[in-house]
Amino acid sequence: MNQRLREMRERVRAREHACFRQSSPPDVLTPSSAQNLSWMKRAALLTRMQCEAEKPVIRAGEQLVFMRTVPDVPSYDTPAEWEARFEGGRPHELGPISNICPDWSLVLSQGLLGRKSVALATRARFSADPEAVEFLDCAISTIDAVLDLTARYSSEARRLGRTDLAEILENVPANPPRTFRESLQSLLLLRAVVWLSGHYHVGIGRLDQYLWPYLQADLAAGNLDADGAEELLCEFFICLNKDSDLYPGIQQGDNGQSLMLGGVNRDGNDAVNELTRMVLRAARDVSMIDPKINLRISMKTPLDLLELASELTRQGLGFPQYSNDEVVIPGLVAHGYALEDAHDYTVAACWEYSIPGKAMDIVNIGAVSLPAATDKAIREGLAKGDSFEGILERTREDIFAQVDAVMARSGNIILPPAPYYSVLMNDCLERGSGLSKGATYNNLGIHGACSANAADALAAVKRFVFDKRSMSAAELLEALEADFEGFDDIRRQLKDDAPKVGNNEDGTDTLLARIFEDFADACEKHSDRVGGRIIRPGTGSAMYYVWLARGAPSMKEPVVAATADGRKKGEFFSSSLAPSPGAKVRGPISILQTYGKLNYNRICNGGPITLELSDTVFRDNESIHKVGMLIRSFAQTGCQQLQLNTLNVETLKDARAHPENHRNLIVRVWGWSGYFCELSPEYQDHIIGRHMLG
Amino acid sequence: MSVGCVFDIREFTVHDGPGIRTTVFLKGCPLRCNWCHNPEGLSPFSQTLRTVAGERLVGEIYTDEELARIISRQSSILCLGEGGVTFSGGEPLAQAGFLAEVISRLEGVHVILDTSGYAPEGDFRKVVVLCDLIHFDLKLMDPGAHRRFTGVDNAPILRNLAILAELGVPTVIRVPLVPGVTDTMANLEAIAMAANTLVAGSISAAGTGSLVRVDLLPYNKAAGGKYTACGMNFKPLYDESVECRADTSAFDRLSVPIRVC
Repeated sequence: MNQRLREMRERVRAREHACFRQSSPPDVLTPSSAQNLSWMKRAALLTRMQCEAEKPVIRAGEQLVFMRTVPDVPSYDTPAEWEARFEGGRPHELGPISNICPDWSLVLSQGLLGRKSVALATRARFSADPEAVEFLDCAISTIDAVLDLTARYSSEARRLGRTDLAEILENVPANPPRTFRESLQSLLLLRAVVWLSGHYHVGIGRLDQYLWPYLQADLAAGNLDADGAEELLCEFFICLNKDSDLYPGIQQGDNGQSLMLGGVNRDGNDAVNELTRMVLRAARDVSMIDPKINLRISMKTPLDLLELASELTRQGLGFPQYSNDEVVIPGLVAHGYALEDAHDYTVAACWEYSIPGKAMDIVNIGAVSLPAATDKAIREGLAKGDSFEGILERTREDIFAQVDAVMARSGNIILPPAPYYSVLMNDCLERGSGLSKGATYNNLGIHGACSANAADALAAVKRFVFDKRSMSAAELLEALEADFEGFDDIRRQLKDDAPKVGNNEDGTDTLLARIFEDFADACEKHSDRVGGRIIRPGTGSAMYYVWLARGAPSMKEPVVAATADGRKKGEFFSSSLAPSPGAKVRGPISILQTYGKLNYNRICNGGPITLELSDTVFRDNESIHKVGMLIRSFAQTGCQQLQLNTLNVETLKDARAHPENHRNLIVRVWGWSGYFCELSPEYQDHIIGRHMLG
Repeated sequence: MSVGCVFDIREFTVHDGPGIRTTVFLKGCPLRCNWCHNPEGLSPFSQTLRTVAGERLVGEIYTDEELARIISRQSSILCLGEGGVTFSGGEPLAQAGFLAEVISRLEGVHVILDTSGYAPEGDFRKVVVLCDLIHFDLKLMDPGAHRRFTGVDNAPILRNLAILAELGVPTVIRVPLVPGVTDTMANLEAIAMAANTLVAGSISAAGTGSLVRVDLLPYNKAAGGKYTACGMNFKPLYDESVECRADTSAFDRLSVPIRVC
């Protein structure tokens, strides 16, 4: 990265651009009420007025422009009106459509004017259908709003003497991009308007696929060289971080600006290209939280690409996240996705699989608390003198009951009209029907959260109460009731002497697989296999590993007290697919082998295996090569999704304060590595000091 | 069938040899190196480690079959990852019979022996011929200094090093650089001479030569980190605050391949 970009990144990090932000958003409610506008029209008016309220900001040297100056998204309804909209149903999360990915390829290649002609043609066809006409008119009005906003940016560019910019903005996003730079500019503007219309978790999708034709043409024509292209890409990534503090999310950074690389094209052929590598390099150089990089791999993925990805992992941002095509694609096909569409998958926001432009899937309608299911089954089963099989049967019943409850609660989800988002999708304009009425795929996802603790609890009960008979049912129940107070030895046995998920031992892994089979069966019960809505089970935990342990406002799932895996009340559960916190495991190979035993054809919603590596693992090229091979082992073992984290100082400090949560944390010390928590405090400090320097 | 005591099995140990490796730490060591960083590997028996994270029993008994099965289950990953298994310690040759039986049960897995070289000749010969690569620790060439800092005589170690040359088993000599103790010019020069006897074409090398390279491992101040947990005291006979010298000139002069880790 050159000096200009480094300075730009520092300015963005310092949030210097926040000074351009206006104090209040436009009043959309007053005209909406005064004209008694329909819901669809209010949604379109919101986009229009938000665009009109934006003030062009062009700073010296910028090659790509647009930043939000209106930080908030105003309401077009009074609270009472908004509530009434969902009568007989309910909103999903905040309401507006979120957590999907537009068809950027289509929109860029047609340009907004192209999209407008499609809308006009459909309008002519459906002129007798008032609902279609209203939707299409509204969609057109949002297109015009974006074009007006672009025109104001281009005038500003002319005023500043930035002819280069003005000429670009006079072409895109109205028309198809003529250059790589234009394609980035078009994308930047088009996606920003999705956010300022109140949508969130807007996917960036398969950027190395849909931008490659523009870059390839530029490179072939000699208009741009690889360095120039990478510079533009770096600037684009920096720009994606400008507004990220305005995005709604559970934590800073949880904004779903996910970008997918690699994999195969719609025909199933290898799709890796020079832009794939360029994105990895640019993301490594920029090293900011956005965009979140995902990489689709298979056993055939060249090692040099995995090594390049490992260099990005080394930056400690927790990405790239890897998906295994050989597992994900068949899983999607098994859940009713056409093969070509499955080939084209991306992630919606965090990890759930989605099809760009074609999926209006709601990938996270709730979670099943797997520890609650096993805990209830264990407590009730032991009290009633069940066999171990009886406890497993109760677990299955509870999982079914929880899925029933999630489905009953989710009931009829009502999505607000989204005229602008519809423009960006594959066939809303074509069909004359808005996105909130559905797209090609309208499935639902439910996650089975905190699975490792659940399986560990079953495994411990099986070992001590049923196999070895060294612990009586009454004793264990009493210990659980007492949160292990006064039962230290029982707790120690449950924690240290019981088999744990993550060690590639068939006993525990079979229990884990069985829990997920039960969960998949429960979801299938609610799926309409014949062209209807499918329920996709997943393996993610999101914040549930905290919430299920400690409770959270508005959480419907029960809080789980002490559990039979030796976990005390209030202690966190495992996150997504990872061994229980504090469980003794040998390392990443056994973890991958454990999770390779799950049947991902049945649990296709996504949810990553989470591995933490010390950043000292990445010290030299040889180590990077090894990390690349470890990623290939992930594909080799038939796992679905992998998140590799690099340990940093914050983790080390947390390990010092809460050693019980970091028993597997390994740090490199000399010609050797050690368990961080077993070092004396002064040595821990020494290592923390070293990491802070490094 | 034999049994052995293992104090850890760790996967993806990137600094214990080429490729994706799993390292098995065998418990028990005849040496008492003053700078030892694995004090829980010294005693041949199971013991309880008391740490801030709680108590942990260190030292699990495995049959050769059980241990071989754990490694074999990973062999497809280790092989594809251009790696294998490393037996470290403690001193793995202190359990030579057990170790030989474990290795004999492994099929197609690349094996590294990480040894101090201190073992009876018979044990040494029996195991090294089963291995693909030897990581041979060479600490001090002066017999007196060796006795003082490791508690044992270095004659058997030097004899075993010569056996490696004789057998032509590929060997990496690893030198822990301890300030003022092993990093002296005289010691490094003596080590370079010894290493050179394993280099192909050198006057004294037998056969094709077995030295892959010499690794210098600079001292790190956290070496004593685990003593408290083991109920032991760490008493370095050297000044930890002094930076060790990773001087490669003695090796360069003899064209002995050298790497500073």
